[in-house]
Amino acid sequence: MKWRGTTRAERRRLLALAVLGVLLLSPLRAHAYAGPGAGFAVLSSFWTLFVAFLYSIYAFVVWPFRQLFRLLRRRKAYGKAQITRAVILGFDGMDPELTERFIAEGRLPNLAKLRGQGTFRKLRTTYPAISPVAWSTFMTGVNPGKHNIYDFLARDLSNYLPYLSSAEIKGPKRSWKIGRYTIPLGSPRIKGMRRGIPFWHWLGEAGIFCSVIRVPVTFPPEKFPGVLLSGMCVPDLKGSQGTFCLCTTRASGDKFREGGVRVPIERTGSRCSSYVPGPEDPLSGGAGAELRVNFEIHPDKSGNQARFTVDSQSFALKVGDYSEWIPVKFKAGMGFSAHGICRFYLKELSPEVEVYVTPVNIDPGRPDLPISHPVTYSIYLAKLFGPYATLGLAEDTWALNEHVLDDDAFLAQCYANHDDRERMLFDALEKTQQGLCACVFDTTDRVQHMFWRYLDEDHPAARDVPRDQRPSVIQDLYVRMDELIGRVMKQIDDKTLLMIVSDHGFKSFNRCFNLNAWLHQNGYLALKTGKTESGDWFDDVDWSRTRAYTMGLNGLYLNLKGRERQGVIEPGADADALKEELRRKLDGLVDPASGRVGITGVFDCDSVYAGPYVDNAPDLIVGYGDGFRASWDSVMGKVTSQIFEDNLKAWSGDHCIDPRLVPGVLFCNRKISDEKPAIVDVAPTVLKLFGLPLPGHLDGKPWTVGASVVASVGTPTAPVAIVES
Amino acid sequence: MGSLGVNVPAAIVFGISLFIGLVMVIVFRHTSDQKAIHVAKDRLKAHLLALRLFQDQIPVVMRSYGRIVLATGHYLRLAFKPLLFVIVPMTFLIVQLDRYLGSVPLEVGQSFLVKARMADANALNDAFLQLPDGLATTAPAVHVPSENEVAWRMVAARAGDYIVNIQVSDQTFAKRLVVGSGLSRLSSVRLRGQFWKRIFVSGEPALPDNNFIEAIEVQYPARNITFAWIEWNWIWLFFVLSLAAGFLFKSILGIEI
Repeated sequence: MKWRGTTRAERRRLLALAVLGVLLLSPLRAHAYAGPGAGFAVLSSFWTLFVAFLYSIYAFVVWPFRQLFRLLRRRKAYGKAQITRAVILGFDGMDPELTERFIAEGRLPNLAKLRGQGTFRKLRTTYPAISPVAWSTFMTGVNPGKHNIYDFLARDLSNYLPYLSSAEIKGPKRSWKIGRYTIPLGSPRIKGMRRGIPFWHWLGEAGIFCSVIRVPVTFPPEKFPGVLLSGMCVPDLKGSQGTFCLCTTRASGDKFREGGVRVPIERTGSRCSSYVPGPEDPLSGGAGAELRVNFEIHPDKSGNQARFTVDSQSFALKVGDYSEWIPVKFKAGMGFSAHGICRFYLKELSPEVEVYVTPVNIDPGRPDLPISHPVTYSIYLAKLFGPYATLGLAEDTWALNEHVLDDDAFLAQCYANHDDRERMLFDALEKTQQGLCACVFDTTDRVQHMFWRYLDEDHPAARDVPRDQRPSVIQDLYVRMDELIGRVMKQIDDKTLLMIVSDHGFKSFNRCFNLNAWLHQNGYLALKTGKTESGDWFDDVDWSRTRAYTMGLNGLYLNLKGRERQGVIEPGADADALKEELRRKLDGLVDPASGRVGITGVFDCDSVYAGPYVDNAPDLIVGYGDGFRASWDSVMGKVTSQIFEDNLKAWSGDHCIDPRLVPGVLFCNRKISDEKPAIVDVAPTVLKLFGLPLPGHLDGKPWTVGASVVASVGTPTAPVAIVES
Repeated sequence: MGSLGVNVPAAIVFGISLFIGLVMVIVFRHTSDQKAIHVAKDRLKAHLLALRLFQDQIPVVMRSYGRIVLATGHYLRLAFKPLLFVIVPMTFLIVQLDRYLGSVPLEVGQSFLVKARMADANALNDAFLQLPDGLATTAPAVHVPSENEVAWRMVAARAGDYIVNIQVSDQTFAKRLVVGSGLSRLSSVRLRGQFWKRIFVSGEPALPDNNFIEAIEVQYPARNITFAWIEWNWIWLFFVLSLAAGFLFKSILGIEI
C-alpha cells in the first residue's frame, strides 16, 4: 500500500473514487441513478446541451439566409465606413480643467497619450448643462427643442406640480374591482418622453451591431437591432428616483427632506426586527397601502457583527459593511408580487441599532419593468455577473447629504456599482468586435458632486476639515478612470475609433441662490396674504398675482395666460418685455455677501432652442456663476426669505450653471481638426464614420476625423493646445 | 392490488420516492456549495442567452458554445461532491428495493427454470435435484457443457416459500424460491464468492467455497407497475417520481440543485 506520503484529504479522495468506481462498474441498472440531486444535475446538463444543440441546428439552417441579409445590410453600412468599430466611453461630468491639471501632474498617462497623439478638446454642452439634457442631445444629435428634455423635472401646466421629464409610468389601463381589492389587468404603462432618434437606431438598421450600456435617458428602452441597458431615469421599485431607508432604534429624528424614509426597528430581547418599505400594493387601487418585506437582525455577542434574516435568506454583516445584493419579494396577495434587490449596510449595533438599506432596485434578473432591450439583456448580464444596480441614480447621494452614510460608505457604494459597469463594458467590448459599443459611467458625476468640498479651499461644507486632512477623492477618481481607459485601449485595434466624452464639466457649489425668493422679493412672484415663505412646490403661492416662477435647476417660467392654468401674462409683447426685464435684472446679479457675480448669463429659450417641442421649454435658462447654483429650496418650488445662502451639504460640486463655464471633455484616438466641437456633433460624426447618410433634421455637424490612430502602448508625447469653448 | 384495491407496489414506490426526494435535496443542500452551484447555473443560462442575443456575431456564438460546454463541466463537478455522499446509501437502498420491486414471484402452474452453473463440466452428470412437496419437474435435466450448466424445468402446484436442494456427489446446495403473489423479497441467484456481485444481485448467503457449484439461478418474471395508466419498471417510476418530489421540495425549501 502506498498510503505513506499521501495526505488525509488525498486518502479520502482516493477512497471515495474507489467506492464510486466500484459502484459505477457494477452492472446493475439502478446504479445509473443516485437520487434526485444527481438526476437534476444530469438532466440540467443534458437539457442545457440539448437546448444549445437545438439552437445550433436552428442557427445552422437559417445561417445562409441571415448571412445573405446581413451581407446586404452591411455592404450598405460598411461600404463607405472609415472604421469597423466605435467605442464611446462616457464619463458623466469629467471636467476638462481638472483633467488638464491631473495630466500636467503626470497622473493620467493614458489620457495624456490620447491628448498627445490624438485629440483633446473641450466639448461644448447643452443649455442647460444637465445630464439628461446633454446625453439626450448626445444620442439624438439634436437640440432640446427637438428631443423635449430640458431638465430632470417638467411642470404640469394644470397645477404647477413637477413630474419626471423623461418617462411617465402609469398603472395598467384596466382593472377589476372585487370588494376592497382592485386587480390590475395588464402591465404598467410606461411612456418615454424623450423624442428624437438615438444614432444607434440608424446604425442598427444599417446592420451595424450596437451595445449600449447605461446611457442616460434610455428608459423605457426602445426597440432597435442591438442590445441596450437603460441608465439614468430608471426608477426604483417604488417608482421614485431612489428612496433609501434608514432602519433605526432611535426614537425620533428629522424627516428626510427627500430621498429617504426612516423606519423603526423593534427590539425583542436581543433580536431586532424591521422592514424594507416597498411599492404600493397594486391591489389597493391607489389607496396608498405599502408593501413591505420584513427582516430580522440577530446581533452576536461581540457587538460588532449581526446575522440578518430576510425572507429565507440569511447573511452576516459587520458594522461598516455592505451586504451583497439581496433579492426581496414584495407579496401583494392573489399571486401578485414585485421583485427587487437591495443592499443592507450595518451602521451601528450598540448602543442603538441602525441599518441603511439602499433604494430597492428593479431586479435585473427578474425585471418587473423593462430596463433593457431586449428584456433578456438585463437578465443575461445578471446571470453572467450577478445582480447589479439598475436604478438610474444608483449612487445614493441623498443618504450622504442626510448624513445617513459617511464618505467611506458612499464611496464603497459608488465603486461597487462602478466595478459592475466595468464588467459590463468589457463584456460588451468582447461581444462587439464590429459596430458600436457605448457605455456611460456616472461615478465621475456622483463623486464630484459629493466631494468637491475637499477641492474647494473655502467650501462651507468642509470648513471643519483641515486642508491637510482632506482626502484626494476626486484625484483618485480621475486616476481610476484613466486606468480604465488604459485597459480599454489595450482591447482595441487600429480600425476602432475610441472616443471619451463627458456631458459637462464641474465647478464648486458653495453658494445657493433661491430664484423664487428673488422673484418674490422683486415683485414677480406673490404669496398668499400674510405669508412670507411658501412650502414646497409653491404651496401658498398666489398664482393670480404671480408673473414668473422657477422649479428645477435652471428653468425660469413665465406664468403665461392660456398656457399655465392660472396664467396672468399675455403671450406676445408682454411676455417678451417681461423676459427682457428679467434678463436685464438677473444677468450679472452680485452676491452681496461674497461680492461675486451669482448669475453670468440668462438665455432666452427662443434663441437657444428650435424644434417641435420648444413650447414645453422654460422661457429663460438661468446661467449661474462659478460657485453658485439654484438653492435646494428653489429647485423644489419653495420661496424662502433668504436669496443667497451657504451650501452646507455634502453635495458640494455642480454643473447646473452657465453652460459656457462647464464644457465637457472630448478625447479621441484620432486627430479631430474641428476647433469647437459640441456634444450635439457626436451622433452625426459616428454616423459619418460608419459611412451612413446623415438624417436631415440633425443639428450637429460631423467632425473631420483623421485616419492615424494612437497606439495602445507607448509614451505620451507633448500636449497640444486646448481650444477654449 | 391490495385488499382495498390499492396498487401496493405503486403506493410503495410513490411513498419512497417522496421521502427520498425530500431527504436527498436536504442532503444535497448540506453537502454542496449552494452559492457556487447557483453561480454556475446562472453562467450557463447567460451563455445560452448570449447565443440568442449575439446571434449575428459568429465568433461570439462560437465562444458561447465553448463556454456552455465548460460551464456544464463545471456544474457537473460541483454536483459531484453531493453525489459522493448519496451514491453509497442510495445504491444499497435501491438494491434492497429492487429485491422486492424488481421481480414478481413465480405463479402456481407456471413453468420456470432452475439453473446450476458448475465449476467443472464433468460434474454435470453428478448433479441431482431434491424437490420439496409442491414442486415438480416437467422435463428431464438439460446439460449445457459449453456453459458448465444444468437446467431443470419445473412447475409449482401451490403457493409457498420453497427450498430447492441440488445434490452433487455428497454435498447439497440450497436455493430459495417463492411461488405466489404480492410482495416478497426475491433473490434470483445464489453465488459462490464474487463479493461485490453478491452485494448487488444476490439476496442469499454465499455458496460454500471449494465446491462444485458456482451459482444457482431462478428466473423470476420482471415486475411492471401500473401508474398513471402507464406500465413502468419500478426504477423508472422511482426516477420520475423522486425527481418530481425533489423538484417540489427544492422549490419549497429554496435549495439550489
